[in-house]
Amino acid sequence: MITTGIDVGAKNVKVVIQEDGKILGKGSVLAGLDMGAAIAEAFDAALKDAGLTRDKIEKIYATGAGRNEVKDADDSYTEVGADAAGAAHLFPDARTVIDVGAEEGRAIRIDDRGKVVDFAINERCAAGAGAFTEAMARALEVPLEELGPLSLTSTKAVAMNAQCAVFGESEVVSLIHQKTEKQDIARAVHDAMATRITSMARRVGVEPPVALIGGVAYNPGFVDSLKRDLEVEVMIPDGPEFISALGAALLAAGMAK
Amino acid sequence: MAKYKTAPLKSWQRAKEIRTEYYQNYAVAHEKGGLRWAGGAWTFDAIPAGLGDDVYPITSEPYGATIAFQKDFSDRCLEATERAGYARDLCAYMRNYWGSIILNEYGWVDPGEERKPFPKPDFVWQDHICCSHAKWYQVVSDLEGGIPMYCIDVSVGPYEHTTEHGLEYLVGQMHDGIEWLEKTTGRKYDDEKLIEAVNNTCRSTSAWAKVCALNQAIPAPLEEKTMYSLYVLGTLQKSSKDVADFYEELLAEVQDRVDNQIAAVENEQVRVMTDTQPPWGFLRVFRYMASKYGCVSVGSLYTFALIGNWIWDDEGNFVPRPTPQSQGLVIKDRDQALRVLAEWELSKPEWQHFYHPKYKSDMMIQIAKDWKLDGVMLHYNRGCEGLSLGIAENRLAILDSGFPVMVFEGNMGDEREFDEARTTARIDSFMESLDVPKLN
Amino acid sequence: MIETFQERYENRHEYAKQWKEKTGGKVLGYFCTYVPEEICYAAGVLPVRILGSHEPQDVTEPHIFAMYCPFCRDCLAQGLQGRYDYLDGIMIAQSCLHIRQAFTSWDLHVPTDWSYFLPMPHNVQSPRAVPYLVEELKVFKKALEVWTGNTITDDDLKRGIELVNRDRQLMKQVYELRKREEPPLSGLESMYMVVSSQLSDKEDHARLVEEALKELEDRTLGRPIGQRLIILGSEDDDHEFINMVESCGSTFVIDDHCTGTRYFWDEVSLNGGDPLTAIATRYVNRVPCPTKDWPLRTRLPHILGLAKDWDATGAVILQQKFCDPHELDIPAIKSALEEQGLTTLFLELDVTVPIGQFKTRVEAFLEILDEDDLF
Repeated sequence: MITTGIDVGAKNVKVVIQEDGKILGKGSVLAGLDMGAAIAEAFDAALKDAGLTRDKIEKIYATGAGRNEVKDADDSYTEVGADAAGAAHLFPDARTVIDVGAEEGRAIRIDDRGKVVDFAINERCAAGAGAFTEAMARALEVPLEELGPLSLTSTKAVAMNAQCAVFGESEVVSLIHQKTEKQDIARAVHDAMATRITSMARRVGVEPPVALIGGVAYNPGFVDSLKRDLEVEVMIPDGPEFISALGAALLAAGMAK
Repeated sequence: MAKYKTAPLKSWQRAKEIRTEYYQNYAVAHEKGGLRWAGGAWTFDAIPAGLGDDVYPITSEPYGATIAFQKDFSDRCLEATERAGYARDLCAYMRNYWGSIILNEYGWVDPGEERKPFPKPDFVWQDHICCSHAKWYQVVSDLEGGIPMYCIDVSVGPYEHTTEHGLEYLVGQMHDGIEWLEKTTGRKYDDEKLIEAVNNTCRSTSAWAKVCALNQAIPAPLEEKTMYSLYVLGTLQKSSKDVADFYEELLAEVQDRVDNQIAAVENEQVRVMTDTQPPWGFLRVFRYMASKYGCVSVGSLYTFALIGNWIWDDEGNFVPRPTPQSQGLVIKDRDQALRVLAEWELSKPEWQHFYHPKYKSDMMIQIAKDWKLDGVMLHYNRGCEGLSLGIAENRLAILDSGFPVMVFEGNMGDEREFDEARTTARIDSFMESLDVPKLN
Repeated sequence: MIETFQERYENRHEYAKQWKEKTGGKVLGYFCTYVPEEICYAAGVLPVRILGSHEPQDVTEPHIFAMYCPFCRDCLAQGLQGRYDYLDGIMIAQSCLHIRQAFTSWDLHVPTDWSYFLPMPHNVQSPRAVPYLVEELKVFKKALEVWTGNTITDDDLKRGIELVNRDRQLMKQVYELRKREEPPLSGLESMYMVVSSQLSDKEDHARLVEEALKELEDRTLGRPIGQRLIILGSEDDDHEFINMVESCGSTFVIDDHCTGTRYFWDEVSLNGGDPLTAIATRYVNRVPCPTKDWPLRTRLPHILGLAKDWDATGAVILQQKFCDPHELDIPAIKSALEEQGLTTLFLELDVTVPIGQFKTRVEAFLEILDEDDLF
């Protein structure tokens, strides 16, 4: 069965087309103001990537904060359910899934069937999500994609408040004025984020193996800080930002749980 | 075709009447030479009843919740309080209440009428267990230019370790309080009225508990959203004859519903309980759960036991506490009345977690078992440090005992701190994890 | 000499472990200054206050909801991270709800041999409080006896009272010196002296204070005093912050917080009476924590008196983020101080603070005070 999963996230719409558990095509478009147009565009991009026409798609499931915007969806799942389905498919051994996106961070514990046992969500504090790194990159005047590699060159840990993004940002300003090295501040930023995520993950209990998904998994600085904090290795799939959409597509095909 | 039959509650009308009269009586108390006073929902309201039949209370938390229902008014109250320099993370009920004083607008508005000025209480009669209780009224007094105030400290430890000296401490403060009331109001105290009020307190709080116990039935005859509108009467004035009578009538009606399998949620397929106050401005979340998932919240320790009294019986069951009167006790004098009142109230389940989360965890787990629940939904309530106390440990304990738990953050009295979309998403995730099929 | 107090603060765990080794006695970690240390000493137990380490952590979120103050979470983190493994027991005296959770979560998750919850009454303005507390202290004393295997006699209690009183008297003498136009020690140094008392054997600490007093006689700070400030708050052992304020051209000359005068200000008055009653009286009547300061705000005249007697011109009001009891008092305290002619600066603390940002505000605050001086 060829199915599509559409993940309407805070920042991007991501689409995955799959058949028998294999990804045939992917598409990703900035959500912008016209959600409907973005969804259509992303779907088209995925179809083009897969070399398929619309009529070949047998079922569409939607997920993400804007899942109700997907008019053609046969059903919808929350990101928690979709994350679990996608991650469990790629990493059947995974017992904890951590998803860090633009605005939310999630920790999900799954059992050996990939079923959700418990979940926790960080929504109040942007410190746990991609928006935080963007703000910090701006404060440090470093391009976003360089923030991670920069932090890896740091050899010094600097304490930074991890409770609140607003406090965090003013602390970065303080550190800059104290002439702290940029790479050390960059590392502190990632450590602060990781602390927030680990804190949240501990609520559900971190049972290895741990899978890390979501766009922020591309940030090597964050990944490094997270591994140190969790004290375990993390498995990161290719295209980590598409795992939620993949999960939705798998659920549509009845291939999950 | 619905799974179960439903029917509206006949007792509804009477409940609304009692509540309306209550707020009206408080406002017009002075018109016939009566008195009015303010205090918390847990205050020993039976005691000022000894000052006469024309003494009308207003209790702070329900008043704060009443304001919270009216989102625009609440926003104005909260902003007024913040402008006056009070922090945003303080108890949201307090902030609503103070705002209403600052704006001089009464939170209770009769339909079709203009808002009246806030009626200043003649005295404050309060209890103290959470840090904010007595201090709430210090600020009220500040804002109102000074009001005579008396508070009784009830924090003497968990009920299972009640000591004679703990009781003495409470009863001593009560005796001193009666002298204070006489001096402050110039009225002579009537012990007979006190005794009747104490008897009513036991009656109302035990009847409400029995109503909640009936929710063990499948289908549940009541669901939590309705129960909020019913338990509130006990928080207004548990010592009133009207409230005690009402709960006994309600008990009969709910028993009837159980006997006839009348459900609160017609397609009940999954049962949960919640905890802490709900986000008052967003009770429609309960309707969402019911209509989309056939999910009924049968109540919570909060709803059952904020005023209801329960006890662990000798066989280890969690049951409505039998009143001493039902076991033959007849109160003869003031001291005995105060003693019975103190001892009765000390068993209040919602006072136990102040000493250790384990007391509450045990009760919650028992409720989950006896009310046959599929899961638990905890409101991590930023608006109330007293009832959110230890909730993270309760969560761990409930999970450990094998019940799935979901958590959502919010604020019972400050709608700015509740994200409805995100909360319903979490409910969706939770229902997915419980494999609950959607209804339509 | 003064540095010893700072070392004591920084090496609190080593000190306690060494004490254990030397004496073979039990160390009891406590969470609130309402704990009656006199009785602990009478039992031969060393009470040490559990404090945080001012580091961000990620271990308490499963246990304490983030709406509660950073201090209580910081304290719990120390326990969960094993830094207090040497404690033989933990104890709390009932005061605020926030710190109570550090105690109960510790009790649930950090292996401890013994834990005790003392229901310290809140209605300290009622005549019923002392008789109640006396009974609770009898229960506590009994529990200590069972735990330690030592009988606690009235003489032991008197000894405990004298021990703790002595330290209090000495600390008061130190604070008297801060009334001088040139206080011989900074606010930071005083804070180290007080906090180290919470972390040390009282006899040992008293000895150090006696020696310090000698040195303080002729000591000067070697810098202009600048503005004389009072610091008010809940629990404020943020040395980085205190140091920063004093480096901007000011000196803290007096305080009201529980790593300051609230800890030691009031003594136990024995007067030949029953020791437990004397102890109960002291704890009921001591300068209160806001949770116990009702219906009257007795802390207010006390603070105004301190500010006047120590000639403070400005007040820095610090508050742990989310601390309800203090938040409830701060507007009243602020107005009262301002009415008395003090300028106030209000700041919220977390486990770490944005020092740079706070410095800007402190400098602005001091500028206002400096300008006031010109008139």
